[in-house]
Amino acid sequence: MSGQGLEQLVKMVNQISANMHGATDQQAADKVATHLQKFWARAMKEQIIAYANDGGEDLTPISRMAVEKLREVRAAG
Amino acid sequence: MLNYYDPSQHRPNPNQDLGTPARLSEKQIALTIDGLEISVPEGTSVMRAAALAGITIPKLCATDNLEAFGSCRLCAVQIEGRRGYPASCTTPVAEGMDVTTQNGKLAKLRRNIMELYISDHPLDCLTCPANGDCELQDMAGAVGLREVRYGFEGANHLDAPTDDSNPYFSFDASKCIVCSRCVRACEEVQGTFALTIDGRGFDSKVAAGQDEDFMDSECVSCGACVQACPTSTLMEKSVIDQGVPEHSVVTTCAYCGVGCSFKAEMKGDQLVRMVPYKGGDANHGHSCVKGRFAFGYATHKDRIKTPMIRDSINEPWREVSWEEAIQFSARRLKEIQAKYGRESIGGITSSRCTNEETYLVQKLIRAAFGNNNTDTCARVCHSPTGFGLKTTLGESAGTQTFDSVMKADTILVIGANPTDAHPVFGSQMRRRLRQGATLIVADPRRIDLLKTPHGGRMLHLPLRPGTNVALINSLAHVVVSEGLEDQAFIEARCESGAYQAWRDFILEERNSPEALEAVTGVAAEKVREAARAYAEVHNGAIYYGLGVTEHSQGSTMVMGIANLAMATGNIGREGVGVNPLRGQNNVQGSCDMGSFPHELPGYQHVADPAVRDRFEAVWKVKIDDEPGLRIPNMFDSAIAGTFKALYVQGEDIAQSDPNTQHVQAALTSLDCLIVQDIFLNETAKYAHVLLPGSTFLEKNGTFTNAERRINRVRKVMPPVAGKEDWEVTQELANALGYPMNYSHPSEIMDEIALLTPTFTGVSYARLEEQGSIQWPCNDEHPDGTPTMHEVDFPIGKGHFAVTEYVPTEERTTRRFPLLLTTGRILSQYNVGAQTRRTANSQWHDEDVLEIHPSDAELRGIRDGDWLGVSSRVGHTVLRCRISDRMQPGVVYTTFHHPGSGANVITTDSSDWATNCPEYKVTAVQVEKVSQPSQWQQNFQDFDRRQKDYLENAGADATVDEPAPMGK
Repeated sequence: MSGQGLEQLVKMVNQISANMHGATDQQAADKVATHLQKFWARAMKEQIIAYANDGGEDLTPISRMAVEKLREVRAAG
Repeated sequence: MLNYYDPSQHRPNPNQDLGTPARLSEKQIALTIDGLEISVPEGTSVMRAAALAGITIPKLCATDNLEAFGSCRLCAVQIEGRRGYPASCTTPVAEGMDVTTQNGKLAKLRRNIMELYISDHPLDCLTCPANGDCELQDMAGAVGLREVRYGFEGANHLDAPTDDSNPYFSFDASKCIVCSRCVRACEEVQGTFALTIDGRGFDSKVAAGQDEDFMDSECVSCGACVQACPTSTLMEKSVIDQGVPEHSVVTTCAYCGVGCSFKAEMKGDQLVRMVPYKGGDANHGHSCVKGRFAFGYATHKDRIKTPMIRDSINEPWREVSWEEAIQFSARRLKEIQAKYGRESIGGITSSRCTNEETYLVQKLIRAAFGNNNTDTCARVCHSPTGFGLKTTLGESAGTQTFDSVMKADTILVIGANPTDAHPVFGSQMRRRLRQGATLIVADPRRIDLLKTPHGGRMLHLPLRPGTNVALINSLAHVVVSEGLEDQAFIEARCESGAYQAWRDFILEERNSPEALEAVTGVAAEKVREAARAYAEVHNGAIYYGLGVTEHSQGSTMVMGIANLAMATGNIGREGVGVNPLRGQNNVQGSCDMGSFPHELPGYQHVADPAVRDRFEAVWKVKIDDEPGLRIPNMFDSAIAGTFKALYVQGEDIAQSDPNTQHVQAALTSLDCLIVQDIFLNETAKYAHVLLPGSTFLEKNGTFTNAERRINRVRKVMPPVAGKEDWEVTQELANALGYPMNYSHPSEIMDEIALLTPTFTGVSYARLEEQGSIQWPCNDEHPDGTPTMHEVDFPIGKGHFAVTEYVPTEERTTRRFPLLLTTGRILSQYNVGAQTRRTANSQWHDEDVLEIHPSDAELRGIRDGDWLGVSSRVGHTVLRCRISDRMQPGVVYTTFHHPGSGANVITTDSSDWATNCPEYKVTAVQVEKVSQPSQWQQNFQDFDRRQKDYLENAGADATVDEPAPMGK
């Protein structure tokens, strides 16, 4: 997925971050990561991780932390 | 002695009319009727007591779904020690009463009464449509009427005209006996008050509205009057045409989420009429214009009767055998997976099909496609309900029965329009409002429920679209800050840490009604009044619809509703609760059956290895442990080129999903689209395989309504193309190499029960016994669960969720200064594929744009003008209706007609948690125009071409012209 599809994923993760709250930013990001792991399809997760690895410039700070956390969770298997 | 205590209104034979309604007093009264001793609840009429004892008292103006009226006097009896001949319908039983129902005096009295009735009644019984099904005829026989001494020459009503204006029933005033059952049914059962008795004495007659034709009156054509009429005065036109039915089968309506039970009354395999079934636990014998009358689509000429295939959507269809269509589909799906990978295909289950069919489609996808790319149209309506209620209460379902509303003291309706979208439940709600319950409506529009005649206190909170969460937070702020919480409930039933965090949050000044007044547009004092009205009564009940879910914060709002209910202790008993009103007949069921990409049946996550183990053992196949694509993700992936084939059963995503042009682009990107439907719907115009679907009349199965009630759907006629939908899915699975060998849907239900912890006690045998079952039904709840969360929550303690208000990004600008919100109307259903093919279109033959007078004036717009409606994604043209039900700045339309293009304007904004589209908020501009939009012109061309392809199916492919919209 690229172009419009990727843009949509970025929009989605940023929207989730705007709606998930925690005592600290890391807590909020962990919640977002759990949400992504629980509800997103494999290809979508891989796309967003690849995008973050490439700089992920349109991700909000919480989203960026969340995708990083998602990457760790998936790497840990 | 016969003892009769009946906590349920219908447990006596639902096909018998006991004359007056049940009374539920626990105090028993003993009496003697014709020498027989019987004991019945206090308040029961003598007539009903007699009927329960098996004694029939003649009657005309009494029927057991209406309060006694005592006008015909035919039911007169004698009571020892009392004077005269009291009417048994209006006389309550008394301890020790001794009643005589038959003797010489009573017989003479009744004959005299009947003689008077018949002296002004046409004697055309042999040619009358009610012949054999007429209570007047029955009573003449029962009282032994042999002559009419008065003659027929005097003043009479025999030439009274017939009102034929309603498409489904006629009103033949010459046959009317003015018993007023129709008038009372319209008031007591339906709650519309469209009928009245006009004039006095001999001139008395039934009149609709201000003595108008039925069609011109407020009549909503629910059929309650037709049902109540003891003669052929109010009679279904189908019976006039075809005669009285000879057998009937009880089944479940396939329209909205109320799930009414009906008797399908048949002549052979021809359906003559649908009569609401008194034994139905959801509807207790009531109906609406859709379920009662709009069934003609089942035999409409547009039905797809033969499987069809084509290589490209710019080719005519080719009629083929089932075998060839299935093989073609399987081959295409396999080729695509070989070329683009296992995850390049998926499917969409239907909220209109049965539980068994839905279960089978998701099984096909998970087991035969080998991925979790399954979703359902619940994605676009109630997915936030699933997410929000599971997070807070632990189960993705409403908490109550419909009957629970009869114990509610305050009813809070948010973003729902029950009188139009859930009419039979709307009538029940109105009944409770007439008994004095307080109504609070939170809705941008002034919905009809607020116009309930003789209702109690009513509050309208006309909030701005998109500000639900701000409103629910301010309501909760009042509850907490004014000490209206139910501390005992919270301490006993809810997680304390989450509660404290929520309480601290909600108490912040920024969540007060005063602080949020500018956001919601609702006066702070009104919000405070509403919060008190909900929290201070014993029973507060919340009902909500798509006006809650179809927002960018749909899931947050559902959690906000659950928070409010928990904070006030309004959970876990009758009269309270959180009640999502489901749009389609089987939305609850399609969610329960594992249609969502992340959940197996029973809301069991695919990532849970223990869950997968159980399914894998029965399905004998490996299940993917990652969620699949949701519908909007499928569209995005299709456009991106990674998603190539889709199997759609009984859904019309091209009309119902938002941002139509985006959907069209996605559908034309597919290499193989398989559509299984009863008509060539909008989606099917983009398909390569068209598999004929079967209607609810043509198959066996079950539907689950908004109260989690599983009801049987029973086959009354053979499928027009020879197969029930589940059989087609099964054949496709077999052709793909995954064996399925069910011989009846009951076997599919047995498998569901085996794998779904909340369904372990459900079987067709149990449904046959009990009539219906509300899940959970298992060892813990062997008879099902009418009220949820009575003792604890499935997650143990209730979870308060912090619900921060985040405004939608879809907001008005100078370019798009108005907010569009979309909805439904009574006579049409969803995309209209069914109802548009019935006479229901006489009530609503086009979608119109409702606009407030001040917005219209500003733009020089008049009623009936053509209006161009533009949003950032599209443009369409609709006719204008000026309406002060709207608030200034908000416009409204419906999406029942494909050519209207309501969803050309709606955007791809969606709920943050579930991607449920934000249908309810689109920033638009409106201006006067003189011609259809470019999209509409393209639509008309494409529609015409695709219809030609269908008509020429089977003929040689010769049509080849430029394709403006297809590929």
